[in-house]
Amino acid sequence: MTPESRSGVIHDLGYRPYAGIRQAEGRIALALFVTGLRNAFGLGRSGKSKLLPFILLGLNLLPALILVAVMVFTNLDELPIGYAAYAGQTQMLLSVFAAAQAPILFSRDLRHGSIVLYLARPLRSATYALMRWCSLTVALLIFLVTPIVVLLLGALLSEADVVDQLTEAGWAVLAAVLLAGMLASVTGVISAWSTRRGFGVVASIAVLLFGYGMIAAVQAIAYDEASDRVGEYAGLLAPYSLYRGIAAGVLDSSIDAITPPSGAPMQALYVAVALLVVLGGIGLLVWRYRRAAAR
Amino acid sequence: MEVGPRVEAMHSEPISATVPHEVQGSDVVVRTGGLTKRYGSVVALDSLDVSLGGGVTGLVGANGAGKSTLIKILLGLLEPTSGRARVLGHDPTTEGEAIRRAVGYMPEHDCLPPDVSASDFIVHLAQMSGLPRTAARERTADVLRHVGLAEERYRPMGGYSTGMKQRAKLAQALVHDPRLVMLDEPTNGLDPAARDDMLALVRRIGHDFGIAVLVTSHLLGELERVSDHVVVLDGGRLLRASATTDFMVDTGTLLIEVIGDTHPTARMAEALRAAGLDSIPRGQLLAIEPPPGVGDRVYDVIRDAACDAEVGLVRIQADHHRIEDVFNLDTPSLAAVEGELSHDA
Repeated sequence: MTPESRSGVIHDLGYRPYAGIRQAEGRIALALFVTGLRNAFGLGRSGKSKLLPFILLGLNLLPALILVAVMVFTNLDELPIGYAAYAGQTQMLLSVFAAAQAPILFSRDLRHGSIVLYLARPLRSATYALMRWCSLTVALLIFLVTPIVVLLLGALLSEADVVDQLTEAGWAVLAAVLLAGMLASVTGVISAWSTRRGFGVVASIAVLLFGYGMIAAVQAIAYDEASDRVGEYAGLLAPYSLYRGIAAGVLDSSIDAITPPSGAPMQALYVAVALLVVLGGIGLLVWRYRRAAAR
Repeated sequence: MEVGPRVEAMHSEPISATVPHEVQGSDVVVRTGGLTKRYGSVVALDSLDVSLGGGVTGLVGANGAGKSTLIKILLGLLEPTSGRARVLGHDPTTEGEAIRRAVGYMPEHDCLPPDVSASDFIVHLAQMSGLPRTAARERTADVLRHVGLAEERYRPMGGYSTGMKQRAKLAQALVHDPRLVMLDEPTNGLDPAARDDMLALVRRIGHDFGIAVLVTSHLLGELERVSDHVVVLDGGRLLRASATTDFMVDTGTLLIEVIGDTHPTARMAEALRAAGLDSIPRGQLLAIEPPPGVGDRVYDVIRDAACDAEVGLVRIQADHHRIEDVFNLDTPSLAAVEGELSHDA
């Protein structure tokens, strides 16, 4: 049989080569980001994996809805809680969401070995890590911004000053972006190193909530002892105290920070440290997945 | 798929240590030159020179022989310590992305998330290879049909048997219609029936799908059946590269099986020695190397020896090389292989 007659048989056997479009790296990265974002909410995964994220999302939104209802019915012309302060009040829910969903994006592929299948494809390991981080950050941002939007709508319905409200909500969204980035970096790094899911979840919650608890205690003591500076330095050590410090000190939002950063250098330091947490986390993630590629 | 002609050429071409089994022209899929990878003091690949063409190429070697290291370097995931490689005309160290677009890879180890269905997962991976979503869906349905995953494709992969998992792993390597697939131990953990199915599939990919296949195994007998060419690695070095048929040429050795009461094989060996033929026991068989010039008379000698020893002659069979033999050069009956190798070098 000659090669020619044999290749004639190939098509009869039904294998069709693919001659269509092959997308550039940017489009592939976008597809990874979208899938990751959907997965963070349990979409495209099993039915019960949607349960936790959507329950948390609902619980997180509930106080905002109640507040708006109260506002409308009692004709309040001012929100009982600041936009930026809302995340401070619901940081428990936010932490559980971040801790539970980060392993889905950062541990799963390492635990099941499927990372190899990604790395054997066009995307570079750094792009993979960056897209995973983006998925988690945007998922957290959705979690943080929906209540802000509900509160804003409520405030606008109650005929509060539109410009004031928009400005304050805008600052709150900016602070939320920073918080989402920090939480994604912290929980992402923890998840990428602790591939056992349970451990990653527990470690993330411990670092976020207990970490902040301890910092808050130190800040409270420092405040009582009238040595605010100590409290301000301590605030640099946890994402939530950084968030509160930046929201209260830098963005002048109504949020209760025990010892907000005072003075431009300290405020600049808060912003710098927050950015360092974000970028440092991304750097570590990139390094982690690059190492996975060489294994 | 010009397997035939190239196999033909292999017989006449001597294999040299520097340019082993030269594959001609545009058919070259992979070529390495002096490829070396060291991990500290451990040498995983030792100045490897090899070129691979279309069809199915078996990469044989014991565990730790450097098979997986070679694949990782070819995919551009590992930097070689020295030397160079070309995959489909690209340099893995600088053009890894282009290579990974055109190559499919089936890893040796488990790599499937348990809570996703094969269908969803492979659609996603097809997108990760650059296919738009609709095309990804079509291709996924196609390849899952080819690898033989039917209704179970919609079930989470955690519940799959090893055979089904291997099929899903193979499907993801094919979904973007690569020009070359690298299959790392695809028959690992499979029962004999599933192993046969997988090997048939590997052969079909190389021959009917028109995709070049590089398949590794430490079970050498498997590769005899499906490969057009075999590359043997040992301790990171090229032991041999050649057409499969070269490994299985007639060695000239005869294998004899006898039956009878109380140690028939030993009695037969004695009778043969008396008749002037030295034999070497091989399992239940006796192997003899007919002296030159004896010709067909050797059969008469064997028959008479069996009569003298009062044993029943079950069969006399010509011995063929098998790929395993390359690894057992110290076995006396295989001195012929060694001779052939040194002649080649």
